[in-house]
Amino acid sequence: MSLISCKNVYLSYESNTVINNLNFEVNEGDYLCIVGENGSGKSTLIKSILGLKQTASGHLHLIGGINGGEIGYLPQQTTAQKDFPASVYEVVLSGCIAEKKGIFFSAAQKRKADENMKKLDILSLKSKCYRELSGGQQQRVLLARALCAGGKLLLLDEPVTGLDPLVTAELYSLIDRLNREDGVTVVMVSHDLFAATQYATHILHLKKDNSFFGTVDEYTSSELYNGYKGRDGR
Amino acid sequence: MNDVFSLIFSQDFLVRALAVGVLISVCAALLGVSLVLKRFSMIGDGLSHVSFGAMAIAAAANIAPLYFSLPIVVVAAFLLLRMSEKGKIKGDAAIALISTGALAVGVMATSLTSGMNIDIYNYMFGSILTMSSTDVTVTAVLCAVIIFLFIAFYHQIFAVTFDESFAKATGTKASFYNMVIAALTAVTVVIGMRMMGALLISSLIIFPTVTSMRLCRSYRSVVYSSVAVSLFCFISGLVFSIKYEAPTGASVVIVNIILLGVFSLLGSVRKISANSRLHPVKSVLVCFVCGVCTALFAAVLFSGSVNIYEKEKTTVVTTSFASYDFSRQIAGDDAEVIMLLSPGEESHTFEPTPNDMLAIKQCDVFVYVGGESEAWVETVLEEKGADMIKVKMMDCVQLYEEEFTDGMEHGHEHGEQKHHGEAEYDEHVWTSPLNAVLIIDAVCDALCDADSVNAESYRGRAESYKKELRKLDDDISEAVRNAEHSYIVVGDRFPLRYFTERYSLGYYAAFPGCSAQTEANPVTIANLCDKVSSEKIPVVFKVDLSSGTVAYSISEQTGADVETLYSCHTVSADDFNGGETYISLMYRNLEALKKAIS
Repeated sequence: MSLISCKNVYLSYESNTVINNLNFEVNEGDYLCIVGENGSGKSTLIKSILGLKQTASGHLHLIGGINGGEIGYLPQQTTAQKDFPASVYEVVLSGCIAEKKGIFFSAAQKRKADENMKKLDILSLKSKCYRELSGGQQQRVLLARALCAGGKLLLLDEPVTGLDPLVTAELYSLIDRLNREDGVTVVMVSHDLFAATQYATHILHLKKDNSFFGTVDEYTSSELYNGYKGRDGR
Repeated sequence: MNDVFSLIFSQDFLVRALAVGVLISVCAALLGVSLVLKRFSMIGDGLSHVSFGAMAIAAAANIAPLYFSLPIVVVAAFLLLRMSEKGKIKGDAAIALISTGALAVGVMATSLTSGMNIDIYNYMFGSILTMSSTDVTVTAVLCAVIIFLFIAFYHQIFAVTFDESFAKATGTKASFYNMVIAALTAVTVVIGMRMMGALLISSLIIFPTVTSMRLCRSYRSVVYSSVAVSLFCFISGLVFSIKYEAPTGASVVIVNIILLGVFSLLGSVRKISANSRLHPVKSVLVCFVCGVCTALFAAVLFSGSVNIYEKEKTTVVTTSFASYDFSRQIAGDDAEVIMLLSPGEESHTFEPTPNDMLAIKQCDVFVYVGGESEAWVETVLEEKGADMIKVKMMDCVQLYEEEFTDGMEHGHEHGEQKHHGEAEYDEHVWTSPLNAVLIIDAVCDALCDADSVNAESYRGRAESYKKELRKLDDDISEAVRNAEHSYIVVGDRFPLRYFTERYSLGYYAAFPGCSAQTEANPVTIANLCDKVSSEKIPVVFKVDLSSGTVAYSISEQTGADVETLYSCHTVSADDFNGGETYISLMYRNLEALKKAIS
C-alpha cells in the first residue's frame, strides 16, 4: 500500500526552485533514505510531505494526512531545547497532543507514552531532565515522542547529527528494528551514505533536475552513487 | 497595627495593591515561562515600550489609557511575533526598532501636550498604591481570562514551546498558540504597567522563570516554581517597601535578583555534588545555609514592627515645600506639620509611600496644591475615611492658565491670556506673596476649625506672618518699579507665572511651568538669545534643582550670567536643613531679580 506518493513535484526554498520534477513512492514497510548535498532540499521535502510547506507545483500525497495519528516526525534539534527544563515523560507525552481531547491527557495516552519509552529502553529515564541527557538518549526520547504521534510512518530529519559513532550505530539498529520487527515505515534524511545503503530498502538522491529514486541495489550500481561516493572519499 | 500584615489588611489601598500585585505576578510568571523558553523575552520588554507610547498618546488625546493601549499593544505583539518569525528584519532588531519607535512617538505625544501630563510618570515607574477599585476589577477580570486560557492550553503551549516544528507536524496550530501567548503577554504588560511601570514590568515576566530554571528539571515544576517565586518576590517587595519607605516596583525587582542569586548558587551546588566533586555532607550543608539565610531574610522582613506614622497632636500634612512652610509658620508648636515631598525630591514625579498615605488619612488638615503634578491626591481623597479638612491651594486664588512659550509667539504682554484647547491652570500659585497671604488665611481657618483650643495663637501667628509677606511684596514692587528692563529671560521651565503677573513683569521662558522637557527647540533657544542680546539683559535664569542646560547654553552664547530662581515647590536638602523659608528664598529671588532688571 502506498503511504506517500509524489508525482511531478517542484519544490522551492526562499523563491528559488531547488527541485524540479520529483517522482517517488513510499510503500508500507519501506525504509527510504533521502540523501543529497547540503541545500539540495532534503529538509524542504520532509516539510512538504508533512504539509508544513507548500509545493510549488505537482502532486504530493500523504496517506491519511498528518492528522491521522499515524505519522511520527523527528525534527532536527533546536538551540532552544538545549537548556529547556522538561522531564522525559513530559516530552514523550507531548507526542500525543494531536489525539488529546479536552484539557488533560487520557489514561490511554499516558499508557501509550509508557509503552513507547519501554520500547526504546528509556523508561528508567522517565523523570530525568531532558537537557541533562546525552545526545543519544535525547534522540531516543524524541523518537519515543514521534512514535506517540504515530506508529505507522516515521519521518526522521538527520537523527544522528552530532552523535558519536557508537551511539550512531545503536540508533541505526534501533530504527532498523522498528522497521523490521514493528513494521514501521521509515523515511530518513541522512548525510551518511554508508549507513543509508546498509539499512535502507530504497534511496532517494536529490538533485535539482535529475533526482534518483530506486532500490538500494539499483542505486549502488548507478553512476550518481559512484560519483558521489568517490568525492566523499569512501 | 504594628505588624505588617495587619497593617496591610486594615487599609483599603494596601489591600487593593496586594490583590492587583498578586494577580499580575501570577499572570506574568505563567507567561514568562513560555516567553523565556521560546527566546522571546525581549518581546515582553518591547511591548512595555509600545505600551508606554500608547499611554502617552492616550493621555495627550484624553482617552482612557487602558482601553486605548490594550488593542494597540496586542496588535504590536502580533507584529513583533510575525517579524521575528518570518520578517526580513531579524527578531532582536525588529524588537529594538518597534520599542524605540514607540518611545519616540510617546515622547512626541508628550511634547504636544506641553509635557504636562503627569500620568506619564506613573506609567514609567508605576504607582501601585493609588489603584482605584475600577482598576482592581479590570485587573481581576483580565487576569482570570489569562489564567484560564493558560490552563486550558497548557499542553499545547508546552508542545509549541518545546518544539514548534514537531507540534506543527502533529497538526497543532502553532501560530495560533504563539498568537495566544503574544496577546496574553500584551494584556499582562498593559495592566502590569500601572503597577510596575514601563521600565520594570518585563522583569516581572522574565525573572521568576529564569530563577526557577536554575533548579527545576521539568516544565511543570518550572511553572509552579515561577508562580511561587513571583508571589514571594512581590509580597516581600511590597512589605519591604512599606517598612523602609522604598519604591514598590524596584523593591520587587531587587528581591527577584536576590532570589536568582540564591537559586543559581543552589543549582551549581547540585551540579557539583552530582559530579561528586563535593562531599554530599558539604552540599547538604550549603543548601542548609542557603535555606536558613532565606528563612532569616523572610523572618526579618515579615516580623517586627513597622515604623508607621502615629499622630500625637493636631497634624497638618502638606505636599509641597511652600505649603509646608506656610503651615509651620502658623502652627508654631501647637500642631505638627509634615511635608510629604522629602527635601530635594522632584515634585512632578513624586509618588506617595504607604506611610505618606497613612499620614494623610490620619491628619486633621491636609494642604495640597491640586494641580496636575498631584493627580494621585484625588485617588487618596476618594478613600473612605478621608474626612480631614482639606485646603486646596489652587482654590484660594485667581488662577492663570498655563502659558505656551514656543517659537516666536512667546512675547508675553501682561494680562494676555491664550486659549490652547483645554485650559491647563498653572499650579504654582504660591509664587506671588499676595497669593501666599490668601493661602495663609485658608490654612489658618482650617487649623482653627481643627483645633479650636489654640485658635488664638494660630490667628496671632498668621497675622504677624502676613505682615512679613506684605513687606516682601512691597520690597519686590519697589525693585521692579526701579527696573531698567521690563522682562526677564528664563532658560528653563517657568514656574513663577503668578510672581511675574503680580509685578507686571514680562518674561520669556523655554518651557511652561510643569514641563518635564529639558531639550529645547533650537528656535526657542535662538529666540531667548535674541531677547538677551537685544536689550543687553545681564542675567539669564535657571530654576532651582534643575540642571540648567538651556540657561547655560544661552549664557555661553550671550555672556549673560546665570542666576537661580526658587519656585519653593520643593527645596534642596541643604537649604531645608539650613532652615530656609519661603520668605528667605523669595529674598534670594529678589536679589537675583535686582541683578537681572537693573
